[in-house]
Amino acid sequence: MEEVSYDFNNVETFNVVSDVFSQAITGELIGMSNFASLSGTIEDPYEKMEAVEHADSERHHAEGFLACSKKMGLNTKVNLNGEYWKSVREVFLKYAEKNDFISCLIIQEVMLESFAVSMYTDVGNALGGFPGELFLAIADEEKEHMEHSTEILQEELQKDPEGFISKFETIHFDCMTILSQFSATQDLRGHCGVCNGECMKNSLHHIGLDSVIMRGNALNLYAEALDKIGIPGDKSMVWIAKLPA
Amino acid sequence: MDSKTPSLDFAIVGHSEDWKSIQKFINGIRTAELEPLPVDKIKEVFGFIPPREIFRITLRSKTGKEVTGVYIESFIDPDKLGVTYLRTNINKVKKAVILAAKLNAKRVALGGFTSILLEGNIDSFEEYDLKVTTGNTLTAAFIVKSVEKAVAESGQDLNSVKLLVIGATGDIGMACIQYFKGKVKKLILNARNKAKLENAEKELIEQGVNIALGNSLEDLIPEADVIISVASSNNIEIKNVREGVIICDAGYPKNLDLKFSDLKENLLFHGGMGKVSHGYWFRPDYSNFFYTYPDQFLAHGCVLEVIVLAFENVFENYSTGKGNITNKGIEEIYCWSLKHGVILAPFYNSRGLCNQGNNSNKK
Repeated sequence: MEEVSYDFNNVETFNVVSDVFSQAITGELIGMSNFASLSGTIEDPYEKMEAVEHADSERHHAEGFLACSKKMGLNTKVNLNGEYWKSVREVFLKYAEKNDFISCLIIQEVMLESFAVSMYTDVGNALGGFPGELFLAIADEEKEHMEHSTEILQEELQKDPEGFISKFETIHFDCMTILSQFSATQDLRGHCGVCNGECMKNSLHHIGLDSVIMRGNALNLYAEALDKIGIPGDKSMVWIAKLPA
Repeated sequence: MDSKTPSLDFAIVGHSEDWKSIQKFINGIRTAELEPLPVDKIKEVFGFIPPREIFRITLRSKTGKEVTGVYIESFIDPDKLGVTYLRTNINKVKKAVILAAKLNAKRVALGGFTSILLEGNIDSFEEYDLKVTTGNTLTAAFIVKSVEKAVAESGQDLNSVKLLVIGATGDIGMACIQYFKGKVKKLILNARNKAKLENAEKELIEQGVNIALGNSLEDLIPEADVIISVASSNNIEIKNVREGVIICDAGYPKNLDLKFSDLKENLLFHGGMGKVSHGYWFRPDYSNFFYTYPDQFLAHGCVLEVIVLAFENVFENYSTGKGNITNKGIEEIYCWSLKHGVILAPFYNSRGLCNQGNNSNKK
């Protein structure tokens, strides 16, 4: 693909945009790998097909980001074994190995997608141009995934409210703890292993973003997603309050 | 919510007044095994949380009747109460009212700052089967009755005092003026909006009321024997008060006492507050870190209004709009309130209970 000129004001902007793309590509590949793993373990044919479909969708997103970064000549880095992404993957695999489709759906389509949709929207609006449009378009697609999963999870809640809420709570602390540490103002577990230099959160202002606002927006969308599923607000409020900050 | 869901007698939509109380609450629910969060970390997240149910509350009337409702936190950032954030805050309050309807609450109080939605007549929520109130009538009632009590206890005659109202053009400020006009020697009005202040002056002069007004508190304060502050502002400075002045701090946030190094023999109390004599209970029990006051069972008048309406089984929009609170309304809700054992809060401020015997703030 031919490289096109993109107006980077300075090297800091180039670096932070590169890191933003690196995180997006890595995140999508994690999502793809997660659903690919799940498709191999579950027996139910419909769930198996759904898992493959999800994996393919994440693959398309990763391809889109890769192509765009190449077009812009960015210095991207993919690392599925980075500190946080690897932990997220391990949590997912823990449930995939138990053939627990619903738990996997909660991790991927509620927790990870809340962060993806919110942060892609913020990045898309900040970047503008064709890279911005790509982020916004993928955010829209991920939003549709969230909505579809919400319907499935609402049904699960109706079947066994107490059991479902208890299960959700366990997954919340397994997965959201990692995302919360990852998105905190300062990485609470050290460097993510994806950004090229120092943590990109300190440089987001070069593209008009703020890590505190991005994280806040992501948690807002996550809380709203829980509300839509039907998790009582008094419970989700306590869950969120107990996350690392 | 389906028709089988039992209805709640009321919902309270509220907001926290300061970061200190928010920090206490958040660290309270985080439980002991987790490290307490510093306030700057809480600030990073708090205002982003959408409105949600926090706890159920049951209250008992003097008559023995019990009512149950829900507290919905609006998660309005206490640092963002200004005009710049009006649209965001109104959206939050609207979402909170929709949640109250979803929880099947019969009536909703929009407490404190959240009352902006009803004072502005922005939305009457007619599409939902619930009634709304700002709670401002009972707040005003508690303010005026506590001021009368404080003046009487100080040995002064009400008709000899000069009363300054800070925030005079707001809904509660206007109610206080209506109540005290003709009862005090002189009304002194202060508000940020000069045009509204001058309109109020014109009306009162036509009614033969002895008044003074101004935008500069510095000039007005030294003349006042009694000060009622009902403004929503962090920046009110109270300087050069008269000796023995009575200050009713009923605005948001209630922080005037923090600006005095020594209150001496002056009485400064948090106004607009009531006490549920027969008690209230939270589920989950957050009483150790939510609504903690120097005395048991205290609550804001705006919150208590919807509860009194529930005790009385009144199902109508009660306090709405701006400038609609009448003296008759104040007497009506105060009378109902007393009937159910919802009485004036004792005089207190952030330092503790005031010593009412000598009107000082010493414990």
